[in-house]
Amino acid sequence: MALLALKDLTVTFDDLTAVDSVSFTIEPGETLGVVGESGSGKSVTALSIMRLIEMGTRAKIERGQAEFTMPDGSTIDLFTQNEATMRGIRGNQIAMIFQEPLTSLNPVYPVGEQIAESLRIHERLSRKAAMARARQMFDLVRIPEADKRIRQYPHEMSGGMRQRIMIAVALCCGPRLLIADEPTTALDVTIQAQILGLIKQLQVETGTAVMLITHDMGVIAEVADRVVVMNQSKVVEQGPVDQIFHSAKEPYTQGLISAVPRLGSMAGKDDPEAFHLAGNLQ
Amino acid sequence: MSTLEPLVRVENVSKRFPADRHAQVHAVTNVSLHIDHGETLAVVGESGCGKSTLANLIIRLHDPDEGRVLLKGVDITHLDPREIRPHRKTMQIVFQDPFASLDPRVRVGTAVIEPLKVHAIASGEEAEERAGNLFELVGLERSMLRNFPHQFSGGQRQRVCIARALALNPELVIADEAVSALDVSVQAQVMNLLLDLQQELGLSYLFISHDLAVVERIAHRVAVMYLGQVVEIGPRRAIFENPTHSYTRRLLDAVPIADPHQRRTRPLLTDEIPSPVWGRGQGPELVELIEAGPGHLVAREN
Repeated sequence: MALLALKDLTVTFDDLTAVDSVSFTIEPGETLGVVGESGSGKSVTALSIMRLIEMGTRAKIERGQAEFTMPDGSTIDLFTQNEATMRGIRGNQIAMIFQEPLTSLNPVYPVGEQIAESLRIHERLSRKAAMARARQMFDLVRIPEADKRIRQYPHEMSGGMRQRIMIAVALCCGPRLLIADEPTTALDVTIQAQILGLIKQLQVETGTAVMLITHDMGVIAEVADRVVVMNQSKVVEQGPVDQIFHSAKEPYTQGLISAVPRLGSMAGKDDPEAFHLAGNLQ
Repeated sequence: MSTLEPLVRVENVSKRFPADRHAQVHAVTNVSLHIDHGETLAVVGESGCGKSTLANLIIRLHDPDEGRVLLKGVDITHLDPREIRPHRKTMQIVFQDPFASLDPRVRVGTAVIEPLKVHAIASGEEAEERAGNLFELVGLERSMLRNFPHQFSGGQRQRVCIARALALNPELVIADEAVSALDVSVQAQVMNLLLDLQQELGLSYLFISHDLAVVERIAHRVAVMYLGQVVEIGPRRAIFENPTHSYTRRLLDAVPIADPHQRRTRPLLTDEIPSPVWGRGQGPELVELIEAGPGHLVAREN
C-alpha cells in the first residue's frame, strides 16, 4: 500500500488556482522527484501535504485527499485532520527541509539545542537524553568535530553544514516521509554532491521515503526512482525516471528534457553548439 | 584587427578586500589569462573563488592591487574615468539578476537608448530606430520598447539587458551568471541567442558560471578558479575530456548528469573549501602553472 496517496489536490489563492487536480502516490522507501519550473505548483503541493499552506496565507485547499498510511496500517486523510493531530504527524511521520537552511534555523540558539527541541516536544525526552540523541544525529548526518559543532550557532557554520543540521532536525523523530524542497539549490556543486549522497545513504539506513522537489533535472536523474513533471499548476506527466528522460510522451516534458545541458554531451565536438529544442519549445 | 594580440590580456592581476582591521580577503591572486577575438572564455568555480571579482577587474569596476589589464594591446589599468570611457564601449556586461539590472521606473527603450546618448553615438529618432533593431536582434518586438521592466518575464528581461549591452557594438560581452537565474527552458533559449549573436557579430564572451554543464555547451576555452587563483585553463575539450587538476576533477565529478543511465555513487565526504581570508602580510601560496597540452595549463600539485 502506498505511504501517501494524493488525490485531486486543488489549491487556490483567491482567484488563482496554484495547484490543479494533482494526484500521485509515494511508496514506502522510494524517492519521488517532483520537477517543474518556477510557479508550476511544486512547493504549494508540498506545503499542502504538510497542511502548512493555509497558515497565514490566503491559500485554500479546495478539494482533494491526502491518504497517509500510519505505522499501524490504518490510513488517514491529512486534509481532514485537526491541527492537534497534524502537529503529531509533522516531524514524527512527515518532515520537511527547505532550500535555505539559514532562514530555517533559529539564529539565537546553538544548533544542538534545535535538534534537541524537537525531541523534547515530540518524544518528551529529558533535556539530557535529548542532547545525547542530538549528538547521535550529528554522527548520522556525518558532521565532523561533532562535540564542538553541537554548541555552535548557525552563523558559525557553512551552508552545507547548516543543511546537514536541517536534515538532522528533520530525521531526529524517525519520519517515514521526508519532503525536501530544493534542498541543494543554494549550495555549491561539490557540497550539493555531498548532501545528495548523504540523503541517499540515510534513506538506506532509515528506510524513509523522500519527496524531492527541484527545478534541476540533473538532480532528478541522479536520485529519483519515479518523477512527477509539473507545469502551470498541473501534473503534465509522471512515470519511472528512465521513461521520463528517455521516452517522454508529452511535448512539455520533451521540451524540458531537450533544454537541459547534459554534462558530457559535447565530448568530441570542438565548437559550442546550440540546443536542439524539442516538443513544445520547437 | 591584429591577429596576434588578443582582445583582452590579463597579466598577474590580484585584488584583496579588507575583511577586518587585521585581515584581508584574497579574492583574486596573480591571475593571468587572455580572451581572443570571437571566442568564449568561461570562468568556472564555486562561490567565493573570485570569478566575479575577476570580471569586475577586467571591466574596471574594481582597480587591481597588482597586475594589469590590456584591451587590444592598450593598458587600461590606470586610466582615469574620462580616459577609460571610450574603452567602455568595447566591453559590456550582463548580470545574473535581470530584475535588479533594470530601473523599474524607466521604460526599457530608454534604458537601451541611454548608452547611445551617453556615448554620443545616436539620439532622437535615429537612437529609437537602433533600439528597435536591437530588440529585434535579441528576439523582442519593437513595440515592447515602450514597456516597463515589470511587464516582461525573467527571460525577456534578460534579453533587454543583452540588447542594452549590445547597443554600443561591444567586442567583449561579460556574462556574469547571466543565465543562472532563468528556468531551464528559458536558459536554453537565451544561450542559443548568445551563440547566434556571437556568430552574427563576432563577439567575444567572458562567461562566468558555476554551472559546468552550461559551460560545456557554450565555451571555446575554460578557466577553473579555486580560492582566487586559476588552477587549470585550456581548450574546453581538454578541460572536460582530460581534466588534470584534482580540483577540476572534483568539480566535474560533483555535477549530477541529467541522464539516469549515468548515475554516480557519492562517497560520503564532508570536506569544504578553506577560507580566502588571511592576516596582514600573509597570503595563499602562489600556484605554478605547467603545460599539460597545447594551450592547456595546470597548477602543479604536490
